[in-house]
Amino acid sequence: MLISHSRGFAVTSWIGTLLLMYGAGAFAAEGEQLFAPCIACHGSKGEGNATLNAPAIAGQDAAYLERQLLNYRNRRRGADKSDALGAQMQAMATTLADDAAVAKVASYVASLPKTVNAAPAPGNLHNGNNLYQGKCGACHGGKAEGNPALKAPRLAGLDAAYIKRQFAHFRDGARGTDPKDAPGRQMAMMAKTLPTERDLDDIIAFIHRQGRPK
Amino acid sequence: MKKGLIIGLLVAAVAFGAGMFFGRSGKQEMTISSSTQGASYSGGFKGEGGAATTGITSVAGPAPTNVVVVKDGESIQAAIKAAPKGTIIRVMPGTYHETVYVDKDDIRIIGVIEAGRRAVLDGEKKLNDAILYSGNNFVAENLEIRNYKGNGIMGQAGNNFEIRNNVIVDSGVYGIFPQLGQNGIVEHNVVSKIADAAIYIGMSDNILVAHNDVFDSVAGIEIENSRHAIVEHNYVHNNTGGLLAFVTPGLPIKDTVDVIFRNNFVVGNNHPNFGAPGSTVSGIPAGTGILVMAADDVVIEGNIISDNKVSGIIVTDHAHAQNITADPESEPNSDRVKILDNVMLRNGYDTITEAKALMLAEGKMGAKNLDIVRVGPSPGSCIINRHQYVTVGVSDFTECDFTNTSATVNYLLPPVPPREIKPGERGKVVYLGICTGCHTYNGRMIGPPVQVIQALYMDNPQGLADYIAKPAKKRDDYPEMPPQDYLDPETRLAVAQYMLQVTN
Ligand code: HEC
Ligand code: HEC
Ligand code: HEC
Repeated sequence: MLISHSRGFAVTSWIGTLLLMYGAGAFAAEGEQLFAPCIACHGSKGEGNATLNAPAIAGQDAAYLERQLLNYRNRRRGADKSDALGAQMQAMATTLADDAAVAKVASYVASLPKTVNAAPAPGNLHNGNNLYQGKCGACHGGKAEGNPALKAPRLAGLDAAYIKRQFAHFRDGARGTDPKDAPGRQMAMMAKTLPTERDLDDIIAFIHRQGRPK
Repeated sequence: MKKGLIIGLLVAAVAFGAGMFFGRSGKQEMTISSSTQGASYSGGFKGEGGAATTGITSVAGPAPTNVVVVKDGESIQAAIKAAPKGTIIRVMPGTYHETVYVDKDDIRIIGVIEAGRRAVLDGEKKLNDAILYSGNNFVAENLEIRNYKGNGIMGQAGNNFEIRNNVIVDSGVYGIFPQLGQNGIVEHNVVSKIADAAIYIGMSDNILVAHNDVFDSVAGIEIENSRHAIVEHNYVHNNTGGLLAFVTPGLPIKDTVDVIFRNNFVVGNNHPNFGAPGSTVSGIPAGTGILVMAADDVVIEGNIISDNKVSGIIVTDHAHAQNITADPESEPNSDRVKILDNVMLRNGYDTITEAKALMLAEGKMGAKNLDIVRVGPSPGSCIINRHQYVTVGVSDFTECDFTNTSATVNYLLPPVPPREIKPGERGKVVYLGICTGCHTYNGRMIGPPVQVIQALYMDNPQGLADYIAKPAKKRDDYPEMPPQDYLDPETRLAVAQYMLQVTN
């Protein structure tokens, strides 16, 4: 009695695991397929390619990636006249078949290991630390690792040119203006509070010190 | 004619003297002063009639005659709720697990100590605050407070307070924290193991902090954005930093002026900094005896300052400080610091690189100790008997024209009227009295900056009001925010609306 019960349990759980593995595997395989066209610009590990202006996307959480892809598709991002590079990505995002495909590729990218920015930027680390702690860390995390609870992406793996471009987009009204884009609007409000371009350079220098292998 | 000449000569003499101090000849001309002979400082607070007040030892007014006794097993809060204003709550020895709110005037919570047994408020690391008072003429005495997560005793805009003879251990970010109060005494308390400041005088005026024993905390005694404070006869040891007078940028009160640190023992403040990384207090270098940052008219006299490994005294500005975001409305320099006679021993034996670089620049690389460092501008500052100390950055300090503060007894006043709260200002007063204890406009204190909160809740004051009633943990690198559910829903909304529109 006891033995047969336990065997029954073992069998169902075995089948269950198999199903689960198959399900997850198929989902991941599909995500990987959907990711194939992205490699040309973002790299096979999603590590980004600065010469193509394509940022690292590995290291971001699935919710953030999905939201950005949807933002491109809904013309909340990459639609402003000044944003030619955003327009490139906007075109790529519309090639994904539907919301389900967006979710799959996002969760695949989120499963890739975090990347570390290859070329750390120079700057005044004292000023960068102080401004980062005062103006950025409360959302993006003390080590620029991102904070999903606040919908704020990881900044540590992004190259300097990309950070500066996005920052300018937020500040100048090319990103984060749509009334339905609450996270974008939050960031846009912060981007308007930084006094000078040099301050941003210093902040980026600080960001690039985070999460580096010592 | 003659007068003109004398002044002319004097100027020449001063210039000559200063020149000698600037020189690096190794042999400096000494100006030797005696602190018992010279003139007394007269630059501080003047009470009505022009004289520095003297001899006041109590500020809360006459003791109430109505007395209520709380025994072990009963609730202090229940007794306060039932009591009329003007009541002494006598708390018998025992253990009390509660948070006590005092929003009436003239309440005195007096512990009864029997053969060493005290009334113990124990938060069991579950409760946030032991005592929060917003009433005026509040007195807390003879209590023992332990294991709270937020504050031991926090004042929120109450005037004429007396906090004495309490033992406070391991009770969150601030041990004793009067915020936005005028006319108060903090004396004979023993405070230890506090993650920010053991005794934190915030945005307050006319304060006496005396005879306290303060140790094993990040900041010992901190006078912040406050005016007219005397800190004397305290024993401040094994903290990260001992005595601090500074301006935290981004708070509604923009300056710290007129602080006297005198006759304290400031010993071995070398405790590793355990403040939250990135927060203001985590920027204090472990080994700091006395720190003056952007505070004006700070007098340092008669202290025994020893065995602080970075430096006995550090005078600095906002630009050089770690984890500080400048505030355009705060003057960033420490103006008119006055260093009188102090006994300095064995300080700076293991100092920070920045200080070493300065010593190098002044040709003092051979020195094994460092008593006084000044970085950043400090206009109008003076010192006496500078030859006694190993210093960097004080060569442009002038000779003080006084040698002691004996003419200033204290800055206390007879009971002052309560802070005036106009109708419609509820949100503002709560913001000033409570929220700015942990949130500054543009920097990281205990909680996230207000500017960031404004971005997060830009068109959602109700969301903010709901959050503070029951805060969720959102940031790994910040402590928990204590619930503000003791405020009624209208007040919570009022403070949310106020917080979302402040501009500095
Ligand atoms: C032609 C090159 C190119 C291809 C192919 C491409 N991208 Fe991009 N992607 C970019 C560029 C350039 C940006 C930056 C756009 C901007 O400045 O807004 C970007 C941005 C993104 C972002 C936003 C990152 C962030 O941190 O906000 C995501 C997500 C993204 N791409 C995902 C994808 C996915 C998924 C694919 C494949 C379906 C893909 N990209 C294919 C060039 C490309
Ligand atoms: C109020 C919270 C908040 C603060 C403070 C904040 N950010 Fe952001 N930031 C966000 C959010 C949310 C996003 C994502 C917006 C979106 O979904 O489009 C973001 C996005 C960004 C991006 C784009 C990243 C990408 O992958 O495209 C950059 C760059 C950035 N922030 C830099 C900064 C810097 C630098 C600071 C400090 C000066 C800062 N942020 C302060 C919330 C914040
Ligand atoms: C004892 C310190 C303390 C006091 C006093 C305090 N806070 Fe906080 N507050 C914090 C901390 C710490 C956090 C960060 C909590 C987290 O992210 O987990 C925080 C976070 C917040 C947030 C951010 C919520 C979010 O969604 O990110 C708001 C809003 C806030 N506090 C409002 C207030 C208001 C209003 C008051 C005054 C009534 C106040 N706080 C008083 C410490 C404090």
